[in-house]
Amino acid sequence: MSSFLKIILQNLIKGPSTEKYPFGDTFEPAGLRGKLRFNAEACIACGTCEHVCAGGAIRITEAEDCSGLNMVIWHNSCCYCGLCQFFCPTKAIRHTIDYHTAHKQEDKFNYAERGFIKTVPCSRCGKQIVPAAQELLEQAGNSSDEIKDLLSMCEKCRQKETVIRGALRNV
Amino acid sequence: MRNVMKNIVQKSPWIYRINAGSCNGCDVEMATAALIPRYDVERLGCKYCGSPKHADIVLISGPVTEVVKDKVLRVFNEIPYPKVVVAVGICPISGGVFRDSYAARNTLDSLIQVDVNVPGCPPRPQAIIDGIAKALEIWKTML
Repeated sequence: MSSFLKIILQNLIKGPSTEKYPFGDTFEPAGLRGKLRFNAEACIACGTCEHVCAGGAIRITEAEDCSGLNMVIWHNSCCYCGLCQFFCPTKAIRHTIDYHTAHKQEDKFNYAERGFIKTVPCSRCGKQIVPAAQELLEQAGNSSDEIKDLLSMCEKCRQKETVIRGALRNV
Repeated sequence: MRNVMKNIVQKSPWIYRINAGSCNGCDVEMATAALIPRYDVERLGCKYCGSPKHADIVLISGPVTEVVKDKVLRVFNEIPYPKVVVAVGICPISGGVFRDSYAARNTLDSLIQVDVNVPGCPPRPQAIIDGIAKALEIWKTML
């Protein structure tokens, strides 16, 4: 009897264990994988996230005026597995701890995270290329002027230029 | 009399749950939202019911597989009007990881009128409570 009273007293002091949500606050664990956030500045358009996405939520398509690439992450198909976040080399795509996903049917196809990756023309031939992000250069270590010069070129011009420079060095 | 009934009914919508081929992840979260004192969806006046004939709000989870499709529609048609449909999880909304599968060829909104979507794999109980709160608002306008 006394132990029972003790439990009653403890529970009275502790108060209800029900959270006040949706009328009040609730908690979010630190490692929660919520809605994705996309940083177009850091993206290098490698397409790894699109390739590994289990739910097919990520689409990278070329813009109509060829000035860049459109990135669309459809939250309604994202299974919050975290693969894109894991494989992203520049941490451009990240999970937030925002889990408030309920929305009405009319917003279904607009419920997406969008980004626009700008392309720049190659310094030699003028072909549109995705510029290397600052995050990528930081990972590569010290980037000399030579590397920065090479980065402004498209793939083919870079190959050609490297071969010429290598040959000149050996002469 | 009708107004009195309307006022009473607004305070206690009953929830019915249909599993349309779900992996049980969303179903566990739905049960969590109702049964665990921490979340307790019954604060909103809702109550899970066992019969479709008593239901007001329908929670549907799962990618609506070909095997279960006709059965889902049969149960759904037994639910009296007005009813609000909440699609829980990414499977009924877009097909999710099962999209383009030969076994799950329809999304839920191509078969029935869906009102609220709660994406997630599975969504958190709080997100489901959000969805039910949204469905409640819609349901009140339907009465």
